[in-house]
Parts: sequence; C-alpha cells; structure tokens
Amino acid sequence: MSERVVTFHRHQIAAYAEASGDHNPIHLDDNFARSVGLPGVIAHGMLQMGNLAVVAQEAAGGRPLRRLTCRFAGMVVPGDTVTFTAQQSRPGKLELRAVNQRGEAVLTKAAAEYG
Amino acid sequence: MTDGPDVAPSPPIGVAGRTYPPVPFTIEPERVAAFARAIGADPTAGVPPTFAAVYALWATAPQLFGDADAAVDFAKLLHAEQEFEWERHPQLGETVVSQGKVASDASRRGIRLISFETETIGATGDLICRSHALFVIRS
Repeated sequence: MSERVVTFHRHQIAAYAEASGDHNPIHLDDNFARSVGLPGVIAHGMLQMGNLAVVAQEAAGGRPLRRLTCRFAGMVVPGDTVTFTAQQSRPGKLELRAVNQRGEAVLTKAAAEYG
Repeated sequence: MTDGPDVAPSPPIGVAGRTYPPVPFTIEPERVAAFARAIGADPTAGVPPTFAAVYALWATAPQLFGDADAAVDFAKLLHAEQEFEWERHPQLGETVVSQGKVASDASRRGIRLISFETETIGATGDLICRSHALFVIRS
C-alpha cells in the first residue's frame, strides 16, 4: 500500500490556483467564500485529486495511469490533514482513499487503472 | 432571437449537447513544474497525470462558464466528480488541442447538474485524454 499524509495550507492552495489557472475566489478569499455559504476558503477538489494521483503513481510502480476517477465528497479547509492511500484491488487496478483527521472520507468512489 | 413586445424573462436555457470550439494548449515545462510542486509531485518527473485538469478541463470549462446561455453562477459552482482516461500522457513542449462538450444539463430539486466532457488530441492527431467533470450549481 502507498500512503501520503498532507496538511493543506493557504499558500499551497494559492500555489495550486496559480499553477492550475483555477482562480475561483472560493479558494482564495475567505470573505467571498463566506458570502456564498462556505465556512471560508476551501481547497480545490483537483488539488486533492492531484495528491491522490501521486500515491496512485507510486502504487503503480512507474507504469502510466490509464484512468483516474473520484467524487469530491467533503470539503478540505486550511489546517486539515488528509491521508491518501492506494492499494491494489486487482491486477492493474487500484482502490484509492482520502480521509481527513476526523476519519471522514473527503474523496469517495476513488479508483485508478494503470499499465 | 428577435425582440418582441411584452416578452416575459425566460429561464436559463439548458445547454445540453453544446460543443465549444477546440482550444490549443502548449504543455510548458515551467508551468508543469509549478503544478507538480503544488501537488507535492516530483517536478522533474514529467507531466503529472492530473495536469489534465489544466490542458483538458480548465482549457475548456471557461467556455461553458462564459456562455451567456448556460448562465452558470461561478460562485455557486462546485466540482462534484472527475474522471480522466488516458491513451497516453502528453510530452513536455507538446501542443495539444482540447474540445469541450456539455453532455447533460439537468436540474433536480433546485440543484443544477452539468456533465461536461473534454477530449484532448495530441500533436500527432491521436486522442490522448478524455475528461468527464460533473459540476453542481447550488441554488
């Protein structure tokens, strides 16, 4: 099993916004995020999926990913710590998980195929 | 559309089936390295798989968000699901072409769901990536 534990910070979320081009203010501006009913800024789902892909690649042992899928089930806010894991379920297939410090899945239905 | 007298304001027009013009995108090494660092990947290990969020999804989704007929409120938009399928991953420096399409656009109990699909073609004309995003627009 491959695993990585990541604590998300504002500067990392801002760096992802810059590098990805997703400048939605819900990821960058607390006041704006609150104005649309969020607790404050939230991490991009694709930032979580990016970390998930890194553990999937580790578990794939250098073979290319052919498919990656997930549902963005829970919000990740600055200070949250998420444990990403990848485990082979069948040859060429990985079951993936992303769970926060309270044991809640932040990504669900997550899976990858490689080869 | 023609102007007519006393026309009631119309609700947002569903945009299911709408296909947007293809968008070229060059896989710039500096941008890839910055992206890799942001997700905690090795910036010297080539193009991270989810850089597809950039060359496929975010190359094309702004066409949907900017489409007046689609009337998407960006502030109420959440990315609910994402799937990528790759035939191969692009090379550093390669110019790819991505084209987005609205696969479905439906409202249920005040929540609008837009299924948005993007196909990316590589520099040699081969299909390299399919992206399927599900967006939720809260009311």
